[in-house]
Amino acid sequence: MDIMSALSRAKRGLRDDLRMHLLAIASLTVAFLCLGAALLSVTNLSRIADRWGGTQHLTVYLKDHATASDVAQLRLVLESLQEAREVRHVTADQARRDFAAQTNMTLQGAALSPDAFPASFEIALRDHVTPERIARIASSVQHFTAVDEVETYHDWFAQMGTLLRAGKSAVAMLAMLVVVCVLAIIGNGIRLAVANRRREIEVLKLCGATDAFVRSPFVVEGTLQAVIAAAVAVFMLLLAYAAVRGEIASTLSAITGVQPVFLHPLVALGMILGGGMVGAIGSTLSLRRYLKV
Amino acid sequence: MLPRAPKYGANELPSRRAPATSRARTDGPGKAILVLEDVYKYFRRDIPTLRAINLSVERGEFVYVTGPSGSGKSTLLQLVYRLHTVDGGRILFSGRDISRLTDASVPFLRRNLGVVFQDFKLVPHWTVFENVAVTLEILDTPQKLLRGRVAETLERVGLAGRGSERVEHLSGGEQQRVAIGRAIVAEPALLLADEPTGNLDPALAFDILTLFEEINEAGTTVIFATHDHSLLSSSPHRLVVIDDGHLIEASQGLRAWSARTQLSA
Repeated sequence: MDIMSALSRAKRGLRDDLRMHLLAIASLTVAFLCLGAALLSVTNLSRIADRWGGTQHLTVYLKDHATASDVAQLRLVLESLQEAREVRHVTADQARRDFAAQTNMTLQGAALSPDAFPASFEIALRDHVTPERIARIASSVQHFTAVDEVETYHDWFAQMGTLLRAGKSAVAMLAMLVVVCVLAIIGNGIRLAVANRRREIEVLKLCGATDAFVRSPFVVEGTLQAVIAAAVAVFMLLLAYAAVRGEIASTLSAITGVQPVFLHPLVALGMILGGGMVGAIGSTLSLRRYLKV
Repeated sequence: MLPRAPKYGANELPSRRAPATSRARTDGPGKAILVLEDVYKYFRRDIPTLRAINLSVERGEFVYVTGPSGSGKSTLLQLVYRLHTVDGGRILFSGRDISRLTDASVPFLRRNLGVVFQDFKLVPHWTVFENVAVTLEILDTPQKLLRGRVAETLERVGLAGRGSERVEHLSGGEQQRVAIGRAIVAEPALLLADEPTGNLDPALAFDILTLFEEINEAGTTVIFATHDHSLLSSSPHRLVVIDDGHLIEASQGLRAWSARTQLSA
């Protein structure tokens, strides 16, 4: 069967039932928009989790009035730890500069005093260090006189992991819901199209059209509807992201240390192609039910 | 036991219309394109709509099928284009038993037939061109060839230059011409006309009949079902009558049938 013929007849079908197809595309766009927004949220949550979870580390905050010798002694101890891959001393001034860089603020604009942030040791740990071992190290380091507080980020990671798992579950459920919506919308569209084009179908059959020939434009129409709707949803999401990115980027970066990103092009493409595939499957299933040729 | 019907494939179809220069009768007697052998059709268990129908139509022939309303004329044609299946006997089209074709093979049979209906069966919101071209689209005809063939056909049926008009805006006679164009554009081996003048006034009916005769002159075999006696009276073509499910050749049957209908009147 000639694909060009199917496309040409689908084009005629789209022309004849334009309003119905536009309504279906609008409904499908809303469904894909919800899925895209959820995917965008999970993408950024994953980046935060990767940023903080990918390199296990400890932060040892120093007392404001810690002496240089105490700090030097502490550094020697930390560097002697087998689990430590890298030990970096961050002065109060350096911490302030890092904050300003991450939040895109000028130091003057930030109006932060030089001692707004405490000095610290940032310790990057080697891979496969267990949470229990990290807790023991933190407990030992806590006893040094120069140490104010030791942050292991354990609770934060636990909360982030829970949030991420919940987000991924929500996206999975939403994806299933979107699939059901697409199937239902395409199914209804096919049922209406078949009813509207009953005479056309009869004529085709009487002129010697095979079942595949009769069905092909309907499948093309269903696929096109889903592809167009998914593409429009991605485009609208991109516009919305571009509009709010400037507002939220600095805040998000200040809180998490991660700049927000849009969907990876492959994810966006996957959403469009996946939408098309669901559209094709939905059309085929509906045709089996509603089009007895 | 009847032989299993061959399955028509796209590349093994019966030959299409004979060239215009070789009229069917020149093929010689016995070159039947359509043969019905002892065909029965029941829509009610106790009363057959068609009973023991035997008919042979030669290539290039023009055959009228007439009879009162409800006598089975349309059913006879519907059995040929496989809208229904026979309950007894067999139908040979170009020597192949079409009464036992699989459902998947029926489209390939229909591609070798042209059918014209009383109610035209056109798609009203399509243009004249689209309604005629649909037959060639089904045959995967290249666009350039398709356009040429449709234009040529529209000229044959008297609708040259009107391809862009929507069918719903045409008169009944013009719509029937479109339907005829659709039926002949692929040059079918056999043209079936099921009461094609039933919805037309007498003058238009004669125009349409003339068009069918011209198509037959060009070599296409035509079976023309009608109950309109005015069309038959001056026609030189073969006439078969279906009455009460029986088929009678006109030489004896028309007189008997006419006499009976007059008596009953």
